[in-house]
Amino acid sequence: MGTSYIYKRDASRLFIAMRENGKRFKIYLPKESMPVIDNMEQDINFIEQSDFQYLFEWKGKRYNCELVSRDQNKTTVKVNGVEYKFSLESLFSYVRHGMIDKDGKQTDENNIKSPMPGKIVDIFLAEGDLVNVGEPILSLEAMKMQNEITAPCNGVIGKIHVSTGQSVMKDDLLVEVTSIDV
Amino acid sequence: MNKRLLIANRSEIAIRIIRSAHKLGLTAVVLQSDKEPDALYLQYADEIIQAKDATNDKPIFLDAERIVQIALDHQIDLIHPGYGFLSENPDFAALCEKSGINFVGPSPDLIRNMGIKTIAKKMAIEAGLPLVPGSDGAVADVQKALDSAKKIGYPVLLKASAGGGGRGMRIVEKPETMERNFKSAFDEATAAFGNGDLFVEKYLENPKHIEFQILGDKFGNVIQLGERECSLQRKHQKLLEEAPSASISPKTRKKMGKMAVKFAKSIGYFSAGTIEYILDEDGTFYFMEMNTRIQVEHPVTEMVTGVDLVDWQIKIALGQKLTLTQAKVKTTGWAIECRVNTEDPQNRFSPQTGFIEKIRFPQNTNIRIETGVQNGSVVTPYFDSMIAKIIVQGSTRQEAIDNTLEALEDFSLIGLKTTVPFCRTVLQDPEFVSARYTTRWVTQFFNPNMLENEDDELIGALAATIIYAAEYLQIASDAPASRNESLNVWVLNKRINK
Repeated sequence: MGTSYIYKRDASRLFIAMRENGKRFKIYLPKESMPVIDNMEQDINFIEQSDFQYLFEWKGKRYNCELVSRDQNKTTVKVNGVEYKFSLESLFSYVRHGMIDKDGKQTDENNIKSPMPGKIVDIFLAEGDLVNVGEPILSLEAMKMQNEITAPCNGVIGKIHVSTGQSVMKDDLLVEVTSIDV
Repeated sequence: MNKRLLIANRSEIAIRIIRSAHKLGLTAVVLQSDKEPDALYLQYADEIIQAKDATNDKPIFLDAERIVQIALDHQIDLIHPGYGFLSENPDFAALCEKSGINFVGPSPDLIRNMGIKTIAKKMAIEAGLPLVPGSDGAVADVQKALDSAKKIGYPVLLKASAGGGGRGMRIVEKPETMERNFKSAFDEATAAFGNGDLFVEKYLENPKHIEFQILGDKFGNVIQLGERECSLQRKHQKLLEEAPSASISPKTRKKMGKMAVKFAKSIGYFSAGTIEYILDEDGTFYFMEMNTRIQVEHPVTEMVTGVDLVDWQIKIALGQKLTLTQAKVKTTGWAIECRVNTEDPQNRFSPQTGFIEKIRFPQNTNIRIETGVQNGSVVTPYFDSMIAKIIVQGSTRQEAIDNTLEALEDFSLIGLKTTVPFCRTVLQDPEFVSARYTTRWVTQFFNPNMLENEDDELIGALAATIIYAAEYLQIASDAPASRNESLNVWVLNKRINK
């Protein structure tokens, strides 16, 4: 079974597959390990691949997949004899299309503000990086203590408004994070 | 010299008959239609006769005269008609007889009588079989229909005497709606069949289809080999069958079986045959009709009884005595047959034609596969959509269900959609598992969304993403080749780790 997963940095490898009924799958395709589907690394074996056909093994069962049709980003695949239709988005087009906004997920709470006055000592991530909920984004020194500011959600780092060494006031905007939690 | 058996049929049933022919030391001869010149069954035959039917409207399998002529030209001793096509055509059987060819089936008269519903029902009454209560023949007007319905009890069914396919058929729930329904059914029947005669019959709201397999020889011996339940139907087409039936008590089973034998004996039946009953919710059963051919679903009976029905059909035709007695027929375990039709259950079962790129069948000692196709076969629009049957056994009904589900998981077909996902859905449905299902299951309970499941959906999302990503990452990269390769590392890793 899957284990809870820490996203790798490469946001270009994260995709969103959405069905007509609105059901979404967030799928991360790492370079060298198992796919991560909805934040869980899945132990899916890739047994065979030929033209437009894939054979997977998962949970001790086989899954025969066949590409039925493709039209732009709409893809219909047949899995074990039943067709499923998905529309696909890269993370960037997904965010651009404002699908997240519609759900009201992209709100102020994902704009990370400084909880106290202090100085930025380190920034661990860059704009466009994927971030997991709870993962440190930057380090803020205040009253001789270093505080790690963590991501409030799984998402992609938007604009970073501060730089290392900069002093900030309470409630200053530090980093924007676009949630990818569905 | 070996006797020569011509099979006037195609696909899986032709192969099934060839198997019996070989077992009995007969030479199996088949007809090659140019509508499917590379069909699988041809590979199993001892002799192939080319039957050019491109210039004919009728496929060879429906052309009685040409088949008999071919048989005469090729010194054929017996003709096995299989099911469908000419198998229940009395004129074909008569033509065989007249031409000195042994028709593997009952006599032309028996086929004719059982084919005409009114005669079959009359003979059934004479043998003491119960019929669905109804008006005695057509009702002259609305008043007569009302009188008849009052006697029978609502709801009733108005049925065109000349009818078929649901036309001229109306369900009448209460007396107030009789007049309206009578008029529309009458008009419809007149338009469709040129005959507006209607009769009234008790309408069974949740009926089950139970049929008994019988075997009779030319010496008056008749036995029954138990029942099959074929309630799972769509538009009167069976999709999944089981033997025995979980819907009848041992007492009812005994009664139905005895009546089937009694009826077959009373009409002097020989060969393999099937007595169809309709079973009401309260356990009452009524005679529906008799089929005078080998049936598609015969393997479930063979599996639970161990009796080879096609062997017996041929032996009986050859004049052998039915040495298998009723006392020797024992039923053990449970068998389920899933029909593999190239129909799309997600889209109102629309037929699928084209190439079968790859087909894979489950294999196990408790599984029997009857197939008319292989990798690369073509499904044409000229013939019916059933390409194979998957028959699975278990010691109990639940075990048979579990084994069948497991078997269906090992089935795959690349190229066309089939009814296999539908069968998977049925086998997991509470109505089926509890054996409450009736012939109305598809209309009452089935919804194409039931074909989907979450695991398949997730894998589908992954596959769709991989296809999309391969292109996306290629476009996004300056060095397409290396990027694309890197996507496949997971694939390669998996292969190595396997």
